[in-house]
Amino acid sequence: MTERPMDDVASAPAPTIEELSPDAAAMAAAPGSATMEQPAVPAAPPLRRPHPIRWLRRLFNGLTAVGVKELRGRMRGRRAFVVLTLYLVLLGTFAWMYELILEQRYSTTSGGTAAYASAAIGQELFAGLMMVVTLLVVLLAPAFTAGAISLEREKQTLDLLVTTPISSVSIVVGKLLSALTYVFILIAASIPMTAVVFVFGGVAPEDVIRGYIVLFATAFGLGAFGLFCSTLVKRTQAATVITTFGVMAVTLGSIFILVFWGAVTQPRFGETSGGLGPIKGRPPEAIAYLNPFLAQADVVCTTQTTYGSYCARLASLLNGNAGVIVFSDIGQPPEPVPMPAVDLSNAGGNVEARQAFAPADVVPVQQFGVSRNAFWPRSVAAWLVLSAVLIALSVQLVSPTRRWRFRLRRGRRRTA
Amino acid sequence: MSAIVRAEGLVKRYDRTVAVAGVDLAVEPGEIFGLVGPNGAGKTTTLRILATLLEPSAGEAEICGYSVIRNPDEVRRVLGFMPDAFGVYDDMKVWEYLDFFGRCYGIPAASRRRMIGDLLDLVDLAGKSDTYVQALSRGMQQRLCLAHALVHDPQVLLLDEPASGLDPRARVELRELLRELRTLGKTIIISSHILPELEELCTSVAIVDHGSVLAQGRVSDIERRLRFGAVLRVHVLADEAGLEAARAHFDADPEVASAAILDDGTIELGFRGDDAASARLLANAVGAGIQVVTFSRAASDLEELFLQVTSGDREPEAAA
Repeated sequence: MTERPMDDVASAPAPTIEELSPDAAAMAAAPGSATMEQPAVPAAPPLRRPHPIRWLRRLFNGLTAVGVKELRGRMRGRRAFVVLTLYLVLLGTFAWMYELILEQRYSTTSGGTAAYASAAIGQELFAGLMMVVTLLVVLLAPAFTAGAISLEREKQTLDLLVTTPISSVSIVVGKLLSALTYVFILIAASIPMTAVVFVFGGVAPEDVIRGYIVLFATAFGLGAFGLFCSTLVKRTQAATVITTFGVMAVTLGSIFILVFWGAVTQPRFGETSGGLGPIKGRPPEAIAYLNPFLAQADVVCTTQTTYGSYCARLASLLNGNAGVIVFSDIGQPPEPVPMPAVDLSNAGGNVEARQAFAPADVVPVQQFGVSRNAFWPRSVAAWLVLSAVLIALSVQLVSPTRRWRFRLRRGRRRTA
Repeated sequence: MSAIVRAEGLVKRYDRTVAVAGVDLAVEPGEIFGLVGPNGAGKTTTLRILATLLEPSAGEAEICGYSVIRNPDEVRRVLGFMPDAFGVYDDMKVWEYLDFFGRCYGIPAASRRRMIGDLLDLVDLAGKSDTYVQALSRGMQQRLCLAHALVHDPQVLLLDEPASGLDPRARVELRELLRELRTLGKTIIISSHILPELEELCTSVAIVDHGSVLAQGRVSDIERRLRFGAVLRVHVLADEAGLEAARAHFDADPEVASAAILDDGTIELGFRGDDAASARLLANAVGAGIQVVTFSRAASDLEELFLQVTSGDREPEAAA
């Protein structure tokens, strides 16, 4: 290696790219000077020590890069806004129709005052809207994220992205947030619609806030699940299928298991206790933590100071009393508009009825032993913890190197 | 060692197969380094290891002194990578595409705009700034992808089969572009199975087959080295008996491994010597009274050498 091609480099015209992006040049530790020295040995610039501020700035850079790119594509043109408008029209129509149904129901039931009926309508309407928006979130959030990474793989753009210095965390979280942005917009746009329930009363602003906390947490968690499937499986189609099955498992599946648990643990005629192997007593509440419908039912339940079907349903499932009250609900998806087999909505003062249907072994803290604000916060916490785990796993799967390895050796360099 | 890109004993093992079986590379700054080999030789895997997209099963590689294994982030900042099969984002305009990668490299907004303009000039896409990426022709997309790899002004460019799928004009344009980049001080590593291009473009090449480097060095060095075993064709003015006599004469030379008379009356020599030896051979033949009409090398370009070196029947020993 005697001759050097460096001579013509030295006499070359001024490198324009270096001039125009001095920052990039600085970042690359002055590439020009390194290559033009003779004999051009680019001395390795000293490694930067990991620094939390720099790390955060880098993360933020990556997030905005991915976010801007994704949202530019997603929000371009009229499509996004047309869909949003259509959605609000449909949601409004649903609210109006459901209100009419409720009005009909409560105007024909005797025994309540007008104020009571109005409050009951407000509560039921709140419940209905929450369940519909939850259904929407359950359907859309994972669907939006299930292709996030696998589509990049399929279009062969992931390599381009991974060879840039943006971290895998930025890629994963940026993808998740930008995919969920539209879902969040849909959720937020429903807030004014939900506020209609204040016209009827019976629902406090805190209840609405609780409901929306559950919605956002659910959207985030399900989105993280979809994204995880998208990083786990190479093909978008497979990722979508797995995501769908997962969503069905946490919604329909968890309810079915609870109902099954309740049925099996019911004492048969002449026996003092039921059960099947390890299945005995009350079902573990954790089975239901990831079910957004049940979390929402709990939120709705807290609005119902009187007898309410949502409390009853939740209590029957969680206390293993399947079939006692809501026999007709077994095996059905719980929402959005189930008719309780026994309408207890205005049995507010009916102590006998309450006692008759309350599980005997539980002191009814609230109705049916559903303690206030106990279940839904656990559900939200469960989703957030699960999201964190799924995001961490996704980051590992996206990162091309050091997979499943902790970054203990980071920053150390072999002495050359 | 003055190499800007260095690989030592790179090995990449998949479950059963060995994609790269101990590749050593040393690329000096400012070179255009060609990685040549048939399909499946391990070129792409090697480049992907260098681009921090794959972790080697064994061995070590450094770019600008940074280890691709331990300091991938630093490597990514000094490296521009253009993959073999690259995709383009739908729903994205040309300037947005470059803007996105500019953001990824943390280039501030003000210089980003200028950088996009200059890069589009460089790759001759200046008028296409507002075109959607998927509406560009293949050659334009290729140049755009090259521009994306230049966003952060890297010292080293890794281009995996950049010329594949391009028409001849686009190839010439690409070659010019790479020469221009070299004058800007970039070190370029380029892989290809199409040799004539690399021959003109590259300063050094490594010939890779079955996951290992068969030959490496300056193009001329390799040619010289590999010319041992080249084929000489000699056309002699003689009758049947004279031809046989001439063949015997050539065969007697110590540098000649084999001599055979072909159907068209030329003598084909398997020749081990270098240029001086072949000149001497010719002089001796003329001195011996043989009427030589033509005397030439059958294999004079890289392609032929390449075919010789990478004869397809070699078993991948490392696969065991």
